[in-house]
Parts: sequence; C-alpha cells; structure tokens
Amino acid sequence: MNSVMRTRVYYFILWLVALIFFLPIFWIVLAAFKTDSDILAVPPKLIFVPTLEQINRALFGRGQGISNTIPYLINSIVLSVSSVSLAIIISFLAAFAFSRYKIRATNFLMFLMLSTRMVPASATIVAVFQMYNAFDIGIRNIGITQEPVFRGFPGVLLLYTMFSIPFSLWILKGFIDGVSQRYDETAYVNGASNWHVLFRVVLPQVKPGIVAAFIFNMIFVWNEFLFNFILGTPKTNTLMIPYALAVGLVNPGGNFDWGYIAALSILYVTLPIIMIFFFQKYLLVGMTFGTVRGEV
Amino acid sequence: MSTNTAIPTVAERNEQALSAERKSVIRKSKFFSFPTLLLTPILVLFVLLNVIPTIWLIGFSFYRYSLQSPDAPRPACVDGPCIPLIVIPTNIQISPTRQLEIIIPSVPPIDNYIKIFNDADIWGSFGRTLTFVILAVTIQVILGVLLGFLFWGSARMPGRRLALTLLFTPMVITPVASALFWRLLYDPTFGAINFLITTFGGQTINFLTNNEWAFPAVLFVDIWMWTPFMILMTLAALGSVPKAELEAAEVDRMSWWRKLRFVIWPHGKFILMLGILLRTIDAFKTTDLVLTMTRGGPGNITDLIGLRLYRYAFASLNIGFSSALAVLLLITAIAFTSIYLWVLNARRRSEEEG
Repeated sequence: MNSVMRTRVYYFILWLVALIFFLPIFWIVLAAFKTDSDILAVPPKLIFVPTLEQINRALFGRGQGISNTIPYLINSIVLSVSSVSLAIIISFLAAFAFSRYKIRATNFLMFLMLSTRMVPASATIVAVFQMYNAFDIGIRNIGITQEPVFRGFPGVLLLYTMFSIPFSLWILKGFIDGVSQRYDETAYVNGASNWHVLFRVVLPQVKPGIVAAFIFNMIFVWNEFLFNFILGTPKTNTLMIPYALAVGLVNPGGNFDWGYIAALSILYVTLPIIMIFFFQKYLLVGMTFGTVRGEV
Repeated sequence: MSTNTAIPTVAERNEQALSAERKSVIRKSKFFSFPTLLLTPILVLFVLLNVIPTIWLIGFSFYRYSLQSPDAPRPACVDGPCIPLIVIPTNIQISPTRQLEIIIPSVPPIDNYIKIFNDADIWGSFGRTLTFVILAVTIQVILGVLLGFLFWGSARMPGRRLALTLLFTPMVITPVASALFWRLLYDPTFGAINFLITTFGGQTINFLTNNEWAFPAVLFVDIWMWTPFMILMTLAALGSVPKAELEAAEVDRMSWWRKLRFVIWPHGKFILMLGILLRTIDAFKTTDLVLTMTRGGPGNITDLIGLRLYRYAFASLNIGFSSALAVLLLITAIAFTSIYLWVLNARRRSEEEG
C-alpha cells in the first residue's frame, strides 16, 4: 500500500468515526422530515418523501395540543444573550482588577467562583428556590408588585448571569494576564484614565477571549434545563425550548409525539452545532471552563 | 503677628503638606479605589446568589421542614422535639403562611444528617453513582485517548473542521435532547437498535425498562456523549508537546513506547489529568440524562445521587432533608474542585520551571 492510499484510508477512518458519533443526531434530524407514520414505521425507513410538516407544526403550533414555539425561541435568545452579555461585562471588570491589582485572596475567590460550576445543579436549585420564594413573598408583602420578580424573568436572568460568570472570569483573567502591562503603563504615562486603559487599551486585545466566553456561555444557557424547569413559571414566559421538550416527555401516558419532538430538537440543536463549527478554535477553552487554553 | 499669618513657618508648611498627604491617602483608601469599583458588581452578585443561598441551605439542613406538611420548620433534633434554648423570630416569610424562626436547640439538630447516614437507599445511590462514574470515566478515557491519537495527524485532512464538528456535537447539545434521541433509538417497537437486533436474529430488548439493560443503556449514552470530550482533551494534551522534542525523538529513532513515555507523557499528563477530573466531577452530577431517559427506573437501577436529590427536593418537597443532602454534595464538589485546581497549579509550576 503506497503512502497516498494509506493517507486516504486513514482519512476515511477518521470520517467514519466522526459520522458514527453523529449518527444518533442524524437520525433525529431525519425524523423531523418524516411523516408520523414514517417515524413509527417498522422497519425504520431510511428512504422516504421528506416533508416540512413537522417543523411547520412545531414552529407555528399547528395541530392538537401544541402551543406556538416562537415565544419560547424568543425567550431562549433574549435570556441567553442578555445574561451572557451582563456576565461578560461584570467578569471583564473583575478580571481586570484581579489581573492588574494585587488583590488579596485572588486565588481563593477564583476558586470559589469555579466551584459554583462544579456543584450538582439540584443542590444549587434547592437553595436558590427557597431563597427566591422567600424574596418574592417579601416583595409581595411590602406591596411593590404582585407579580413574582425572582421566580420570573429577572430572577432567572440573574441566576444565568451568575452561572456564566465563573467561566468568563477564568478565561478573561487568562487573556488579560497575557496582555503586557507595558501597554497600560504607556497609556498611563500619556495621561490616560483608568477607564481608557480598561476599554481602549486592554479590551481590544482580549476580544478572542470575549468571543469564546460569549459563545460557550450562550450554549450553556441555551442548553440549561433544570433551572428553568424549576424556577421559571409559565406566567412569566421564561420557559425555553428544553422545557417544552421535556413537557412533551414528562407527560404521563407514554405516547410521545415523536415528530413534534424531533422538529423541536432540530430548532434547538442547530445553534450549538453552528457555533462549534464557526468557533471551533475556542472549543477547548469552552469545554474546560476557561482553565485550559489552546487550540485543537 | 501679621508676618506670621502671611508667611507660614517651616513647621506650618510641613504640617500642611502632611495633612494634604493624609487627605490623598483618604481619597485613595481601599474602599473607594478603582479595583474595588471594578469588583463591586461581581461581589454583589456572588453574595446574593451564592453566599446567601448557601447559608440558607446550610441553615435548613438542620431543620425538619417539608412543604407538604403544615408544620412550621423545627430543628431536626435526633430524639423527637427538642427544647429550644433561644428563639429568634425573623421577618423572613418562607412560605405564604409561615415565618422563619431561628431556633437554637439544646441538642445539636443533626437528625437530617444522621438519617442520610443511616439511609440504605442513599448509600445505594452513592454506590451506583460511584460505579457509574468509574465505568463511564474509565471507558471514556480509554476510548478518548485511543481516538485522540488516531486524530492526532489529521491536520491536513479535507473537511477536518466539519468532521470535528460532527464528532464534537454530542457534547455541546443538552443531555435532555440527547436522552430523547436515544429513547427513540432504544424504543422496543420502532427503535433502530432493536430493528438491527431482530434483523440479526436476536430478541427485542426493551432497554430502558429491562433490569439488566437499563444501566448499561444509560452508561452507553453517557459514553457516547463524553468520549468526544476526552478526544478533545487528548488532542490538547498532544498539542502541548513541543514540536522540537518530537522531531528530536524522530531523529533519535526512539521507539514508539519510549517516545510516549519520555516525550509525550511529561508534557501531556496535566491536560489529560484535568480532563479526567472534569469528567469525574461532571459524571458525578449526572441528573438530566437519567431524569429524561429512565427517571431512575426500573426500580432504582439507574437512580443516581443527583437525580435522588432532585426528587427529594422537587417531588417530595422535603426541604430540610434535601438541604442536608445538598450540603454533602456541595462539600464533595468543593473537594473535587480543589484537586482540580491543585493539578492546574502543578501544571503552571512545571511550565514555569521547564
């Protein structure tokens, strides 16, 4: 076997491995373009007439007992973009302080922040759930508003912000550490203010870090299910597609509307897949909460 | 007299200079400084959403309190009702009808912890979770390292970016969605896997309700989801080996084993370790996968500790008991995190030395 052939076989094997890992997702993608009877066909159908019926149904809520998905989709986008943006601003400021001023307990604080991401989600929710309820009762008793504030959009937004912070902080601190202090000094000597150094000198140099933090926190919030499931209330419309997915599933009876679930799944997995295609070089940093840097 | 007011003496000038300095010290005091300003938002949020809930959690872990019972929260003393030493009423309304009373009893209110300690079901869950973590992480590491080495030389592969996207997709989509996909695949009547089994002459297996198959079926999905992560970490570990050293090893015609042992391992071990630790932490808290796939069943065969906590808290609404369990899991997570950071720092140190 000559070397050209060997390389070809090698690449073929690699592609095969990648495709095997993707196969289960491909199967659900296929299901979204099948009719109900095609999905439940025995034996499973590989060749069929594709239809947009399922996606149409899921997106615009056509059909029995199916609600319009577009509000959920909008909530997902609004919630993930706003909480992640807020988290990045907050952690950029903190990362600059940690990196440039010798703050006591920097390591300890960074450790605490990271450990919040390592705790089982249920443990966090048990605590936050009780606290949010108490806050809301308090707010109601004082008479500010009758609507749930913490068990509503603002509360969920804050929680997601908090969850996006550790990762953003770790990665941005790493990036700011990498920006030479000489830039700051030059700016200070020329009479720049602190804010100028922060936003005009350091910020432009850590853009890749901000992009990475944004993408991966966005995927996290997009994917998050438990917090929204427990803390969100239907009234405040903070429910996201994962919740909608799960409701279709948790409902007793056992007969799932697979076509609908498949179509929802497509709406839902598209964003993460597109993100890792375009931002692949941040994948490593993203999957390790910013603690390991490098490219694949 | 008049000269005195017009021209300050040396002593006065010194005094003025000193007080000016003092003023500037006050202005630059730590409390109002720029870094404090920068850190304020993160600290406020941290206290509001981490410190307070944690105190709340620890506090309730000493109470007997369920949302399902009409009783007010009482300290969870070991032997029935215990005599309160100090009662501090608060204005904090924990439910529409109840106010929180901080009660300091005469005996330590650690009944929840003792109950957990004596609960065979919880220990069973712990054991199962441990089995799950060990099996999942071991298989993922072995598969991930092997496949990582396989992908090592693929820098010039056509369509590499697309292939890697396909490969890494399982780990970026949520476990809830993956669990759903696999339910469709595992389905006994129209699932693709059972179709393959019957085609090759096997018997239909209802994977998720079968006592023997449920656990391996869930484990398999976890392996499918997270092996790509170990591939990623292996690629990163291999990428951290300096090219010059690899080339030198090539020139020296080192054997494959020696190259692995003396060139690749010293550089790659840290990232690999970090990967294994992160996987361990993550596998330990697996909740939504089993929640969506089996809800812990059949029986309690796939009942992992994360799911159990979820059920105590949100199905039986037993706040006191679940808080105690949450505290224990919190401590475990913090212990894991410290090991993780210890390895991370060890890596930094060794990089600085070498």
